[in-house]
Amino acid sequence: MGFVRVHADVREYEVFARKTRLEPLRQVGAVVAPDDELAMAYARATYDEERWVEMMIVPKAAIIQLWAPGEAEA
Amino acid sequence: MRYAEWCIAAPTLEADIAAAAMGLDDIGHSRVLYGSLRELGTPDVPDEPGSYANVAYLDRPWSDWTEFVAANAVLDSGFTLMIEALAGGNVEVLRSRLKKMLQEERYHAMHGRSWLRESRAPTAVEHARRDAIVWIGPEGADVDDLHRKGILSMGVQDFRRRLDEQVGAVPESASIDWKAWDPIRRRINPGGIDELTLNMLQGLAEKRYMPAGA
Repeated sequence: MGFVRVHADVREYEVFARKTRLEPLRQVGAVVAPDDELAMAYARATYDEERWVEMMIVPKAAIIQLWAPGEAEA
Repeated sequence: MRYAEWCIAAPTLEADIAAAAMGLDDIGHSRVLYGSLRELGTPDVPDEPGSYANVAYLDRPWSDWTEFVAANAVLDSGFTLMIEALAGGNVEVLRSRLKKMLQEERYHAMHGRSWLRESRAPTAVEHARRDAIVWIGPEGADVDDLHRKGILSMGVQDFRRRLDEQVGAVPESASIDWKAWDPIRRRINPGGIDELTLNMLQGLAEKRYMPAGA
């Protein structure tokens, strides 16, 4: 049975975490998964090597970019 | 150990990493459980092939990813229910120590459920479910006895119901011949873990690579 990493039903998720309550969340990586549950399991498995006090994932499609590197601020 | 065998063979890079991470989690859980047993006065079992009380599903390496998925979604859920029942029971050392395991197992369950939706593996699921039911044991035996004493917060019927709730609809198992059930190894089928894996578990595989006299 063949499974592929990227197909029509998978989504990219950005992973954010922080080590203390005082520091801001920062992006620590990304995962690709077909649903939120698997994305959560993958994020925890992949990025859990440090003692984060908080970790969250965001579907990349939910991020609204105002401008990209190299583009002038509108 | 079986999870670790898939850490370079799963269908996606993320699943490779998850297989390794879940394997590491479960080794940690075993260490905590064995440590707790020792503290509760359970004597050590001799490290012999016949003493390994693994479910039959783990006897041989899995040859297909769907077997991994069924083990992850069904067997791991069965083991987690037992940890939950111990954490909810009246043995203080278990109540306090097993909570972290349940937090980690939550992610194993998410991984298993999601892959189960994607994989549709009825044969492997049925096999894993049957082995989980056999591992929990028959009604009126030790698990129900421990439930009556308050050591476990669930009895056999609760375990079976919760397992089916978590796994979803599965084909009805053929009836289980409980007369052949071994209450120590918690299985019906004779046999055991394959020799290569056993050698690794006992550290014999590593010793082959040691310099002479080390």
